[in-house]
Amino acid sequence: MQSFFVIICLEVSWKYIMKKLFCLLTVLVLLFIGKSYAVQYDVTILNDIMLQDHVSEIGTKILNANKIDVRMAFIYSKEDDKLIKGEPSLINRQIVFYDKDIQYASDDNEIAAFLAREICKTAESYQGQLRGIVGAAQVTFAPKKYEIFFDKRAVDLMVTAGYNPLALITYINKTYPQKRYTVISRKNLATVRLANIYEYIYTKYPYFLANNAYISNPYYQNFLLTSINNRQKFQQKILSGSKKAVKYE
Amino acid sequence: MNKIISIFILLFISLPSFAIERDYFVEKTLASNVYAKPYTNLNYNYESLECVPIKLQITKNISTKKDEIFEGQKINFKVREDVFYDNKIILKKGTIVTAEVEIYITRGMNGIPATIIVDNFDIPDIPREKLKSIYIKKGANRTIFVLPFKWALTPLPPTGSFTNIIIGGHAKITQKDKIKIYYFPKWGSELPDDNIDIIKL
Repeated sequence: MQSFFVIICLEVSWKYIMKKLFCLLTVLVLLFIGKSYAVQYDVTILNDIMLQDHVSEIGTKILNANKIDVRMAFIYSKEDDKLIKGEPSLINRQIVFYDKDIQYASDDNEIAAFLAREICKTAESYQGQLRGIVGAAQVTFAPKKYEIFFDKRAVDLMVTAGYNPLALITYINKTYPQKRYTVISRKNLATVRLANIYEYIYTKYPYFLANNAYISNPYYQNFLLTSINNRQKFQQKILSGSKKAVKYE
Repeated sequence: MNKIISIFILLFISLPSFAIERDYFVEKTLASNVYAKPYTNLNYNYESLECVPIKLQITKNISTKKDEIFEGQKINFKVREDVFYDNKIILKKGTIVTAEVEIYITRGMNGIPATIIVDNFDIPDIPREKLKSIYIKKGANRTIFVLPFKWALTPLPPTGSFTNIIIGGHAKITQKDKIKIYYFPKWGSELPDDNIDIIKL
């Protein structure tokens, strides 16, 4: 009888110990999960700070090098709210580098390519009557015309700030879609834009093509492959000495 | 033996990845020449407010209507008045200064004017980094009355689209245009190095 009681007591205490252990383990697991979440959260914030700092630094370098004397801010954002709030570079003079855009940029030159285009757009919003409202409206109503202008101007800004303008070709080549028709579209075909940039670099900054740092870049190679017809048209223009604009496709 | 075979297989697999599309056109036309590295402006210091205006006038009128304007086209300007700095004459009246058409935007629908952007002024003894020189000339901007008209007609489609046929004005730079660029003699000195580490992505 006594031994029976001892066994029961032992079993009860064993269950008690197990319960305690289970509680302790739960607490430990919860603590561990909480801590890892905190660490992960910290890493995300640090990463965001680093990206923001990097984007601001490149953008400001372009502004200073090109003596652009109008104010604009650079913001790295994860949420694309362009559809709700409108084009931030034209309305608030804020250049927003969205998370979806930055993931295409392989190096500083490509980040500079994106920012230089947006800087041109924002600078245009300071032009014209009504403190730039007219300038911004023109960009909104004739995006096709201004798209090519921003591309060319971006090349100038990048070169003066010490970046390689061929990065604009690689960035556009991997980012922008290729539409079927351009006549009814508000945008140019990406191939037309790329050909215009190539022509602009060839005529104004041949140094970068003669000493091509992007020749083995797969995206640049893809541009060369997909632009054979356009480059042939440009070649004819150069060889004939014509000054007329080429109709790229 | 196996090693030799595997090396050959590796070479066979990796060779296509080294196949590079060559830009024969560039190789033919540019590679034989030596080009100087383009101008960069990285050593700037915009602290100084000291500024000398340089008044210019084009030597020959240009217009997007009559002339064939292209990017990179050289244009000549004439200095309108003697330019002094520190009581010394730095540019005499009549000195010819060359500049370049940086970008030319054709005129477009909805009253958008043609635009000529002139920069890269080459002035004797004045470095480019000390100049604030961009000159933008636009044609008649009709957007300011076209857009309200367009918005007013938008509820009656497709009448709003009729405003598309209103074209902006031609841009011209004439001898009457008083062009002013600025020379900042103390710009361009290097900033002190602040040793900030650049965080790589």
